[in-house]
Amino acid sequence: MAFALEFFLRRISQGVLIVLAVAFVIFTLLRIAPGDPIRIILGPMATPSAMEETAERLGLRDPIPVQFLRYLGDIARGDFGNSFIRGKQGGTTGGSQDAAGAPPVERAAVIELIARALPYTLLLAACGFLLACLVSIPLGILAGVRNSGWPQKVALYLSSFFVSLPNVWVGIVLIYLLSARTGWLPAIGYQHIGYVVIPAIVVAVELAPVMIRSISVAVATNVQDPFYEIGQVRGLSARIMLFRHVLRNAAVPLLNSFGAQMIGMLLGGLFVVEYIFSFPGIGLLTINAVFQRDFPVIQTVAIFASTVLVFINIAVDFASTTIDRRLKF
Amino acid sequence: MTILSSIPQSSAPARGQSVNARILRLAWRSSEMKVASLLFLALCLLTLLGPFVIDASATKISVADKFLPPVFMEGGRLPYFLGTDQLGRDLLLRSLVGLRNAFLIGVVSVMLMFVLGCAIGIFSGYRGGWTDVVLMRITDIQMSIPVIILAITILGMSRPNPFTIVAVLVLSGWPIYARVARSVTLAERQKEYVRAARIIGASDLRIMVRHIAPSILPPIAFVAVLDVARMMIFEAIFGFIGIGIQPPTPTFGTIISGGTQYLLNAWWITIVPGCLLALSLGSLNLMGGVLERSRNLVLQGAA
Amino acid sequence: MAAEPLLKVENLSICLGSAGAARPLISNVTFAVKPKSVLGIIGESGAGKTLLSRALVNWVRPPLVITAGRVIYRDRDLLALPETDMARLRGREIAYIGANPTTALDPTVPVGHQIEEKLRTIEPGLSRQAARKRVVDLLDAVRIPSARSRFDEYPFQFSGGMMQRAMIVDALISNPKLLVADNITQPLDVTVAAQILRLLRDLQRDFGTSIVFVSSSFGTIVDIADEVVVLDKGSIVEAQDTGRIQRNPVHPYTKDLLAKVPRLWHGVGSIPEANAEPVVLSVRDVAKTYAVKDRTSLFRKNRVQAVRGVSFEVRRGESLGLIGESGCGKSTLSRLLSSLEPPDHGAIEVNGVDVATLRGAALLSMRRRFQLLLQDPYTSIPSHVSIGATIAEPLRIHRLASGRGLREQVCGVMQDVGLSPDLYDALPVGLSAGQRQRVNIARAMVLEPSVLILDETLSALDQVEQARLLDLFDNLQRKHGITYLYISHDLAMVRRACARIAVMYLGKIVEIGDNETIFGEPAHPYTRTLLSSVSTVEEKPFLPKDYLLEGEPPDPIHIPEGCSFRSRCPFVIETCRNVEPPLSPRAGGSAAACHLGLDRLPAPSIVLKAHNGSDLKRMDSL
Repeated sequence: MAFALEFFLRRISQGVLIVLAVAFVIFTLLRIAPGDPIRIILGPMATPSAMEETAERLGLRDPIPVQFLRYLGDIARGDFGNSFIRGKQGGTTGGSQDAAGAPPVERAAVIELIARALPYTLLLAACGFLLACLVSIPLGILAGVRNSGWPQKVALYLSSFFVSLPNVWVGIVLIYLLSARTGWLPAIGYQHIGYVVIPAIVVAVELAPVMIRSISVAVATNVQDPFYEIGQVRGLSARIMLFRHVLRNAAVPLLNSFGAQMIGMLLGGLFVVEYIFSFPGIGLLTINAVFQRDFPVIQTVAIFASTVLVFINIAVDFASTTIDRRLKF
Repeated sequence: MTILSSIPQSSAPARGQSVNARILRLAWRSSEMKVASLLFLALCLLTLLGPFVIDASATKISVADKFLPPVFMEGGRLPYFLGTDQLGRDLLLRSLVGLRNAFLIGVVSVMLMFVLGCAIGIFSGYRGGWTDVVLMRITDIQMSIPVIILAITILGMSRPNPFTIVAVLVLSGWPIYARVARSVTLAERQKEYVRAARIIGASDLRIMVRHIAPSILPPIAFVAVLDVARMMIFEAIFGFIGIGIQPPTPTFGTIISGGTQYLLNAWWITIVPGCLLALSLGSLNLMGGVLERSRNLVLQGAA
Repeated sequence: MAAEPLLKVENLSICLGSAGAARPLISNVTFAVKPKSVLGIIGESGAGKTLLSRALVNWVRPPLVITAGRVIYRDRDLLALPETDMARLRGREIAYIGANPTTALDPTVPVGHQIEEKLRTIEPGLSRQAARKRVVDLLDAVRIPSARSRFDEYPFQFSGGMMQRAMIVDALISNPKLLVADNITQPLDVTVAAQILRLLRDLQRDFGTSIVFVSSSFGTIVDIADEVVVLDKGSIVEAQDTGRIQRNPVHPYTKDLLAKVPRLWHGVGSIPEANAEPVVLSVRDVAKTYAVKDRTSLFRKNRVQAVRGVSFEVRRGESLGLIGESGCGKSTLSRLLSSLEPPDHGAIEVNGVDVATLRGAALLSMRRRFQLLLQDPYTSIPSHVSIGATIAEPLRIHRLASGRGLREQVCGVMQDVGLSPDLYDALPVGLSAGQRQRVNIARAMVLEPSVLILDETLSALDQVEQARLLDLFDNLQRKHGITYLYISHDLAMVRRACARIAVMYLGKIVEIGDNETIFGEPAHPYTRTLLSSVSTVEEKPFLPKDYLLEGEPPDPIHIPEGCSFRSRCPFVIETCRNVEPPLSPRAGGSAAACHLGLDRLPAPSIVLKAHNGSDLKRMDSL
C-alpha cells in the first residue's frame, strides 16, 4: 500500500533526525555541565598530569562536535563505548569507590550493562502496565458511558486520589506496610519474581489515574457522537455500538495520549521506582551513572529512551491512521 | 444533544453566559469542588500562619527532642503536632515550608510553561507552513527526552536551586502546551471570526493576541491546575533523589528520603509529611479534575 | 380510506424537564398513518417536528419527558413497550432517517460494512456473502454509482447526497413497514434533494412502505406527501390531504406558512434592474487550484481545481448574484475576493486597481472600501467582546476615530442597521441570529465601504428576518450607493435582490444574465435544472421530469474533458464530449456556456406573465 510506504519512509527518516538531535543535546549538556568525570574515574588522589593524560586518552579535550562525530562513528560500528566507572564484573549497585582505579580495558561495555539491566526494566514495566490496565480499562469505560452515576464518581475520586500520591512516598509506605512491618513481600533489590510486586504496584498507581481519565474522556466523547444513539435507532444494540464502534473510535485519542504522555510517564516512573527499590534495571543504572558522571552510560540510555519514544509514536500514529482513515500525517 | 439545540432559546437559561463562566458555574455546583477548595484554602492559611503560631523550628537541630512521635500517639507532645525527625526538627513546620516551596515552584513553572508553550503553539498553528513544521519537530525532540532523564542530567550535573528546578520543569513541560494550543488554533483559524477580523484589516499579531488567545486559553488554563500538582510531585521526586532544593531548606523529597533509614522505629518521619503533601495535591487534583470534567461537558454541549 | 391505520398517535404530549419547571414542547398531538401512504408533517424550526418524529420510534431521552399519550403501532403502544421489545421493532419494522446523514454512521468503518452489520444483526442466519450481495443490490437500486466499490468506502468519502442514499438503503434493507424521515433533504443541495425525493417516491411505491415525512419546506412536503399535518408550537393546527391544503388552507397559521413560501415566478414583486454606471469590481479569468495528498500513490498530490477561470463585472450601485450548489467554487471565489489568498492567475480589480499588487497601507485602504459579510452570525463575531467594541474594532485598526468620536460613529452605524445603541456595552450572548448579523453588517458599514460582498450572509436566517435585512440592504444601497455581490445558493433570495445573476458549476460561470432572463428564459441546461429542482408551491416553467437526471457533479480533481455539465445533461450531443463550450454572448448582455441553442431546449411549460393568477403547483410535475 503506497500510503503506508510513504508514511514509514517519511516518519522513520524524521525519527532518525529527532534521535540524532536528542543525542546531540544530551551529549552537549553532559560536556558543558560542571563536574569532571576524570576526577571520579581516577579517584580523589590522582595527580593533575595523570588526569590530563587520561582525559586525552579518552578524547575528552577535543571540541564537542568532534567528540560527537567520533561518538556517532563508534555507534555506527555498534560500539556504544565503555563505562567510565564500572568494571566488567562490577556489581549492579557499584558506587564510585568500588570501581575507582580499575584500568579502562577492564571496564564494562555500556551495551552490555544495558543488556543486563533491560530485562528487569521490561519485566517491571509489563507488570506495572498490566496492573494499571486491569483497574483502569473497566473503570474508564464504565465512567465514560454515562455522564452520571457511581462509576463516574469512583473514577473521579480514585484518579484524583492516585494522582495525588507522589510515587516516592507510595513506595516507602508500601515498603513499610507490606515488607518492613509485615514481612509479606520482599522489597529491596531483586532475587526472584516476588521482588517485582511492590514496585509494580507503585508504577501502576502512577499510571492508573492518567489511563482512567483518558479512557473515560475518550469513551464519553464518542458516546456523545450522534452515531452511537442513531445506531441504536437503526436497530443495533447499545452493547454492539459500544464494543464495536465507540471503543474503536475511542482508540484513536487513547493511542495518542499513550504515545504522547503515558510512555514518557512510564519511563520516568520506572526510573524513580527502580531507584527507590534498588531494582537492578536501566533506571538505577542511569541514576547511579549521573552521580558518578559516567557519560557513556547516560548518553546511551538517553538515546535508547528517545529512540523507543520516537518509534512507539510512529507505531501509534500508524495505528491511528489505520483505524481512522480521515487522519493525515 | 442536537435535539436540544433546536429547541428555542428560553429553554436553556445557561446559554446567556460565556463559555468560561459556564464551566466555572458547573464546576462550582459540584460538592467535590467546594470540599477541595475549602481544604486548599485551609492548607494555604496553615502554611502562611503556621510559622508564626507554632513555637518550634523547621531547621534548628535539637538532639533532646529527636524522634518524637506525633501528638496523637503515645509519647508525643506539644508543640510538635506531627512529631520531630532524627535531628529533633519539627515535622509540621518542615512540611509546611516544603509545601510552600513546592507550591511556589509548581505555580511558577506551570505559569511559565503555559505562557511559553501556548505562545509558541498559537504562533505555530496560526502561521502554519514551515514555521509550523520546524516548531513542531522541536517539540517532538523535547518530548522525546523523558522528564526524569532530562532532570537528572541537568540537575544531577549542576548545583540544583529553585531556578534551575523551575527551568528544567518548564523545559520539559512546554511542548505539551504548545501541542495543545497549536491543535486548538488550527481549528480556531478556520472559524469565521478570524476571517472576519482579517477582512476588516486586523494584523496577524492582533488576531493572535486579541482574538484567538482569549478564546482558546481559558479551557487550557483550567486543566493547568492539574499540572501544578504534577510539578509538585516532580519537585518531591527531585528532592528524594537528591537533585532538588539542597538542605538545610526542607523539602518533601529530602524529608521523606531522610526518614527512610528510620522507617521501622520512627515511621512517622516519612509517612506523616507525605500525608500532608498527598492531601494538598489531592485538593488541587480534585479541583482540576472537576474543572476538566466541566470543561469537557460544556465544550461538548452537554451542559 | 377504510384501511386500518398502520400507526396511530393519540394525545401525545412531551415536556422539557420534570414536574414543576416543565415546559411543554408537544401538546396533545393526534394523527394516523395509513398503510402504504406518505404523511407529511410540516412546521417551522422550533415547532417540535424532530421531537415528534423521535417519539414515533420511542427515542425521547431526559430531560425530555413524554407526559401523556400513546403511539400505537399495529395494536401495540410503542411508548409502553419494554425496551427489549422496542429494540426488536426499531430498525426492523420501523426505520428512522435523520437530517444529518454525515454523522449517522461510525466514521471509521466503511459504509457498506455498517449496513451489512445491521442486516446480519436483524437476520442472524444470513451468510456474509448473501448479506453483502443484498446491500450492494440495494445500493445499486438507490442509484449509487459503482455500488460494489462504494461498499468499501468510508463515510467521509461520501457526499451528503450519497450518504443520504446510503441511509435510505440502511433503513429499507430490513423491509420496514414504516419509515420516519426527519427533514432528510434539508442539508442537501436543491438538485440532489429533488433526486432524493423522487427516489423516495419510487421506493415507497415499490416497497409499499408507509412514510412519515417531516419537513420545514412546504414545497418539499407537497411534492411527496398524500396527507399533510401542520404543526405549530407543538400542536397540530390543521390536517388535510395535500391537494386541498394548497387550495383551501383553513387555519391562519397554514395560510401564513403558505404565503411565506418564496415565489420565483408568480407575484414576485419588483425586480431590481441593471444600470449603466461605471464598473467598480472587475474579475478577470481568475483561477485557483489546491493540492491535496493522494493516499493511493507515493508522494503524489491531487490537484483540486476549485475555480477555473471566472470573469465578471459589477457596476456601481448594482447587485450581482452568484449562485451555485456546494462544491461549485463559490466559497473559494469568496476567499479570493476578500484577498485573503491570491488567485493562481487572473486579476481582481477594484476601481481599476489589481488587488494582488497592493501592500501595506494601500492594501489596508483597499480593505476599507471592499468589505465582506460572512455566513455564520454565531462564529463570526467574538463572544467575549462587547458589541460596541466589536463594531469599533475596524475604526481602531484603520485609525479612523478614537475616544468620543468613535463612540458616536459606532452608535450612528448601529442605528443605521437597526441595532439599539443601548447594546453598545452588552456582550453578544443572547442576541438573535438576525441581531448578530446586524452587528456584522455594522462592523462592515462603519468603514463606509463601496463594495460589499455577501457570502451566504442571509442563509442562516428565517424568511422574515431575511426580508427585513434585504430591505436594510436596499436602503443602504440607496443612501450610500453601495455595490453588492451576493454569493448564495438561495434562488429565491437572489431573485428578489439581484439585478444580474451568474450561475456557477464546477468552478466556472456557465451562465450570466439579467434577472428576468435567468429566471424566465435561461439558455443553459444547468440553470434550468436548478430552477426545476427548487421546492416551491407554484407552477414552474421548468419541470424536473424534463431536466433532472441522476448523478452528482464530477469531483473537481477529475474534471472530464469537454463540457463539465455533460455527465448530468439530458440534452447532451456529440460536440459536448470533446469541446468545452465558451461563455458566448446572447442578446441583452446575457451569456451562456452551452453548445445547444435555445431552440434545442424544451420550451418553458408555462408562459410567464406578470402577476399570473394561479399559484397552484401541478401535481403531475413529478
